[in-house]
Amino acid sequence: MIIGEIMAKVKNPFVDALKNIAERQDIGSFKKIFDYFGPRLKSFLMKSGADEAIAEEIIQETMTIIWTKADYYDSSVASPSTWIYTIARNKKIDILRKTRKAILEDIDTAILPPVESKADENIEHDQKFEMVAKYLDDLPKDQLDLLKMNFFEEKSHGEIAEITKIPLGTVKSRIRLALEKIRGKLEQDGNMANLIPDNKSMVN
Amino acid sequence: MTYEILSTPVNSPASLLFKQCLAEIDPNNRLLNSAMNEVGGYFLYRTEETPLSSNLWDRVLDQTKIVKSPSKISDEYDPLLSQLPITLRSHLKNNEVKWKSFNDVKVASLLPKENNEKLELIHVMPGAKIPQHTHEGNESFLVLHGSYSDEYGSYKQGSVQVRSDDHDHTPVGHSQTGCIGLAYTHGKIKFSGKFGKLLNLIAN
Repeated sequence: MIIGEIMAKVKNPFVDALKNIAERQDIGSFKKIFDYFGPRLKSFLMKSGADEAIAEEIIQETMTIIWTKADYYDSSVASPSTWIYTIARNKKIDILRKTRKAILEDIDTAILPPVESKADENIEHDQKFEMVAKYLDDLPKDQLDLLKMNFFEEKSHGEIAEITKIPLGTVKSRIRLALEKIRGKLEQDGNMANLIPDNKSMVN
Repeated sequence: MTYEILSTPVNSPASLLFKQCLAEIDPNNRLLNSAMNEVGGYFLYRTEETPLSSNLWDRVLDQTKIVKSPSKISDEYDPLLSQLPITLRSHLKNNEVKWKSFNDVKVASLLPKENNEKLELIHVMPGAKIPQHTHEGNESFLVLHGSYSDEYGSYKQGSVQVRSDDHDHTPVGHSQTGCIGLAYTHGKIKFSGKFGKLLNLIAN
């Protein structure tokens, strides 16, 4: 009962939205994704150098990929936000080039098609990504900023060192440390023990 | 080196495909790459909104009506290609691979050359030797299948080597398996040994 409640809380609504698109071309779910991620993608794209028209072109392309390839989304591989982010980032690389003629045949392979059969129940996977989010929520701001610069603002370690005036070696080691922690959380095959703070109480 | 490449943001199709192949080839790389992507997804989810043009949703809907469903990766081609990472197979699915032969070494360009960047598949037959050469600019080489060795060591599947223009070597494909590798080059390869001038003319 308690477990069920906790699980209901961590269930990511966009996992279901993607599933609905894949299974029954559900326009309502598609709109939900567009309404939430469209304006956020626009901020991301315009900060990385796209003008308004190109940013919206990339969003349009990204949404089309989401629509046609929702069945490629594997909730054990990435959270919905990460899947969408990766598609948009790769589409941006293809479209922002000078010639602007798309040459990448299948840009959305960033998230690879599932190798094994999909699990029936997505709850455990949500939980794994929720744990990553929780870890990031709890990081001190200066450390979180380094990760943001590297993996969202797409700056190199050298550029980050220059901006923050933190020595390059320190920038590298701080980012690496946090990444290893995140990797550890992704490695855990979500199970109940991770969800219950003190799993002895389960036994008693 | 693998970590350095994975954590450095990419901005061209060639560097993107190279990075994705590197992420795909080893489960540890895949996990590390997922960790980096999750950080991006985390920030996308939480970034501020920029209002979209009022007609963007209609444009998205129109595009979903005309878009054709994605073509599947064909299983019919070259058995050599079936050994490649899914990233490359997806990219190549509608394109014929055009090999250029240099005796026991075959080279196929995977993308049109842009901004002096190249992405090529290199197939070294078992026991074949690539003439001594240096690299103009940087070359990152990822072993996709088989292995090779040179004066400095031997390199197995999944290993990546980065060489700059001061590096002079003579690679030899493994005597049984040969070697298939992915080469991402900024700048031209320069042959330096006997027949070097002639090979430079042919290769470039």
